[in-house]
Amino acid sequence: MKTIKKIKIVIAGPFSAGKTQFINTVSEIKTVKTERKTRAEGEKAVKEHTTVAMDFGKIRIDDEHELYLFGTPGQSRFDFMWEILGEGALGIIVLVDSTDPSTFHEATRIINYFQSRYSVPMVVGANKQDLPNAWSPRDVATALNISESENIPVVPVSAIDKEMVKETLIRLLELIRDELVS
Amino acid sequence: MGMTGELRTFSFADIFQIILSNRKSGLFVIEWEDINTVSYVKDGEIIFTRPIDKIHKVYTEKEFDSVIEKLRIPKQHLYKTVERFLLSRLDRRDGRFSLVDRLITYDSDYPVAYSIETLTMMSARLLEPEEVARKISEDMLIFELSSDYKQIAEKAKLNPQEAKVLSLIDGERTVFDIRKDAKLETLTVDRSLYGFLALGMIRRKKKERKQKPNVSLELLVKIIKRVKEV
Repeated sequence: MKTIKKIKIVIAGPFSAGKTQFINTVSEIKTVKTERKTRAEGEKAVKEHTTVAMDFGKIRIDDEHELYLFGTPGQSRFDFMWEILGEGALGIIVLVDSTDPSTFHEATRIINYFQSRYSVPMVVGANKQDLPNAWSPRDVATALNISESENIPVVPVSAIDKEMVKETLIRLLELIRDELVS
Repeated sequence: MGMTGELRTFSFADIFQIILSNRKSGLFVIEWEDINTVSYVKDGEIIFTRPIDKIHKVYTEKEFDSVIEKLRIPKQHLYKTVERFLLSRLDRRDGRFSLVDRLITYDSDYPVAYSIETLTMMSARLLEPEEVARKISEDMLIFELSSDYKQIAEKAKLNPQEAKVLSLIDGERTVFDIRKDAKLETLTVDRSLYGFLALGMIRRKKKERKQKPNVSLELLVKIIKRVKEV
């Protein structure tokens, strides 16, 4: 029996950024979730359940390879999972709720964390672009202090839109490809 | 532009960063607990601020000159309104803000006493520790200087402490090193770094990659093709 090689991509982002939905939209298996009921007052008002360890989805590449998508928990009390999930990742997608600037700082913190530890290609998905009051990707980039020299594309996405999710993933994979050929 | 948020979670330094980055003209509206204020932004500079009873009224204004004429405010005194209704409130967190594109015409030049760079540093100096920690969140972060940092620093009117912090940014020192070498209060150093970041004087330096991604080009091409098919 052949061993399947796992290729890992991490989907990080603040609470309620749409990480579970993002994975769900593109995964070929039913996303494995580790959800619990939200308890914090501020969180309960946003959604009933939240990820506490990780979400997991995958795409079969061929007989020997699978692309694994790991979603990190959004709350800062689960920061320790970033390290566990970031180790060995080929790339990272940081999702941001473009309609909620109060979460931008948490996204900055996540980017700071990964940029100062794991030098892996990163793409920021400015999520919920389908909703009114969504900040433009350009303004999200400014708010997250992403400079051109960092080579972190900020792309518009709606996690419920399969084509947009695929485009975000492909953008990250192309960045990885560029690193390989450079 | 076309953004809303709460000052409690998105500080003045953050808002000025957006205004500076866009360099557009528009309105910066704040609904405070006591009053509403509107600041007029021309090409990324705040030239006039005033209280207003009903915010929607401001959207009907067409010409800035006729607004100040009606209010009988001479151009050379516009900055006093910025001092009174904006600068005096930079330490408050109780407002809800909107940045709105607005096609009001500006017929002439107007004096700018407080450049957006100056305002950004003024507001950074008032940040609370928990606000500063939102962006200066890692001791291991390394910052490097942007090519035009000197020109920006001049406009921002740095104080001697900020100038000292700036002199320590070399693309090698971590935030931890800068705090140690500056011999200043940590909060002063972090506020300075926050302000420099907002102004685009410094930027995060990506940790250098020592190894290529652990995947072959052939496999990567296959993955891209497969994702497209999903």
